[in-house]
Amino acid sequence: MNEQAIKDLLYKLADDQLILGHRNSEWTGFGPILEEDIAFSSMAQDKIGHSLAFYTLLQELGEADPDTVAFTRNANQFHNSQLVELPNGEYDFSLIRHFLYDNAEIIRFEMLSQSSYEPIAKVATKLKGEVKYHVLHANTWIKNLGTSTEEAILRLQSSLNEALPYALGMFENSKYEQELMDAGVYGGEEAVKAEWLKRIQAVLEKTELKMPDLESIEPRFRGRYGEHTEHLQPLLDEMAEVFKIDPTAEW
Amino acid sequence: MSLKSLDPRVTRLNLPDGEVPAMEPKPELDQFETYEAFHQKKEGAAHTYVGPVHAPNEDVAFLFAKEQYSRRFPCVGLWIARTENIQVTPYAGDGENVYDMLRIEEPAKRSEQAEPYEIFHLKKRGKAHTHAGRVVATSYLEALQEAKNQLGEKGPIVNVWVVKSKDVLQSAEDDKDMWTTVPEKKYREAIAYKVMDKITKFKEEQKNLTAQ
Repeated sequence: MNEQAIKDLLYKLADDQLILGHRNSEWTGFGPILEEDIAFSSMAQDKIGHSLAFYTLLQELGEADPDTVAFTRNANQFHNSQLVELPNGEYDFSLIRHFLYDNAEIIRFEMLSQSSYEPIAKVATKLKGEVKYHVLHANTWIKNLGTSTEEAILRLQSSLNEALPYALGMFENSKYEQELMDAGVYGGEEAVKAEWLKRIQAVLEKTELKMPDLESIEPRFRGRYGEHTEHLQPLLDEMAEVFKIDPTAEW
Repeated sequence: MSLKSLDPRVTRLNLPDGEVPAMEPKPELDQFETYEAFHQKKEGAAHTYVGPVHAPNEDVAFLFAKEQYSRRFPCVGLWIARTENIQVTPYAGDGENVYDMLRIEEPAKRSEQAEPYEIFHLKKRGKAHTHAGRVVATSYLEALQEAKNQLGEKGPIVNVWVVKSKDVLQSAEDDKDMWTTVPEKKYREAIAYKVMDKITKFKEEQKNLTAQ
C-alpha cells in the first residue's frame, strides 16, 4: 500500500478534528447555558483528542511529532475542509456545523473501524463511541430547536443554507481515492456522502427545516488540497501562540 | 473604545470599554425544569443518584447529564427522571427504617392497570439514593407498600424515592461505548496536572530574588 495515500487520509481526518475542536473550544465560557457550555467544551476536548490519535499514527509513519505538526504548519499545509475553519458565528451556526460535520464523522469512523489498515481500524474502533455521543448531541438539539420557535427555525434554516456548500466540500476526493478503496483502507468520500445525506435527511424530516436543493449548490472544495478561507490562518496563529513563545512549555 | 482583554475571544466581541449598560431584569422562573440523573458505575451495579440537571426535556437532560456526571468517573449507563415525577417519603433518622414509620393506607383511587415502578433507597443520610428494585403496582402508594414487602426488610433505610418505570429514560445497551474511553481522559482530572513542583520552584526563585 502506498504510504503517501494513508498519510493523506490521516492528515485530512486529523486536521478536520483539530480545527473543529479548536473552534468548538472557543465556546468555553460563552455557551448559551451552563450545561451546554460544559457539553460543548467536552466534545471540543474529544475532537482534539481524536486529532492527537491520528497525528500519532502519522508520527509512526515518519512524520514529525504531533505538537510540531499541529502548531508549526501554515494554513496552506492543512488538509481540513473549509467547513471546520469558518468562524463560530452565533450558536445556531455552530450547532448546524456540528450536526453536518459529526453525522459525516460517525460514518467515517464506522468505515475506518473496518479498515484493512490495522492501526486506523484500532483507533477508529476505540473512539467511535465518543463520536456517537457527538451525533446524539447534535441530532437532539436540531430536533428540539428545529421544531420550536419561529426565530429558532429561521436561524437554523439560514445557517443550514450558509453551511451546506462548505459541508459538501467535506467530501472532496483525494488523489488517492481509488487506491484507498481498492486496498480496503477506506470506503471513499462518495460512499460517505451518500450515507450522510440519508442520515441528515432523516433528522431534518422530523423538524420544520427544509433541505435546500443540492443540485443548485456549488460545493466549497479545495480545502483538502491546502486552499482555505481567510479565517484559517488567524485561527492557527491564535492556537499556536503559546507554542511559538515557548515550544518547550508544559502544563 | 472597545474592551481589550487578554482573552482574544472577549476582545472580538467588541464590547464597550468602561460603562457597562445595565442588564434587563430577568423574569422570575425563567429556568428550565430539573431532572435527576442516576449513574451505573460498572456492569451489574445498581444505578445510583448522582445529581440534577436543568433541561427543557428528558432527551436534552440525558445529553447534559452524560457530560456533567459521567465525564470523570467510570460509567456504563445512565438513567434520567423528571424531578416532578419522583415521589419522596419523609426522612427517618440514621439507623432507622422509614418503612416502619410509614403508615401506608390503601389509596382512595387506583388506576385499573398495574405498571412497574422503580424504587430507590437512601441507606444513610449524606449518601446517595440507590436503585433497590422494581415493583408492579397500580399507584405510587401501592408501589411503596410493595417495596416495603419485597425490598424493605434489610437494614436502615432513611428515605425512599418511587418513580414510574415509564418515567425513567434509560441509556440504551447499544450506547455503552459512549463511555469506554472515559477512564483514559486523565486531562479532565486536576491531579493530572503536576504543577506543585513548578510552583515550589517558582516560590524558591522569588525568595532568592527578594533576599538578594
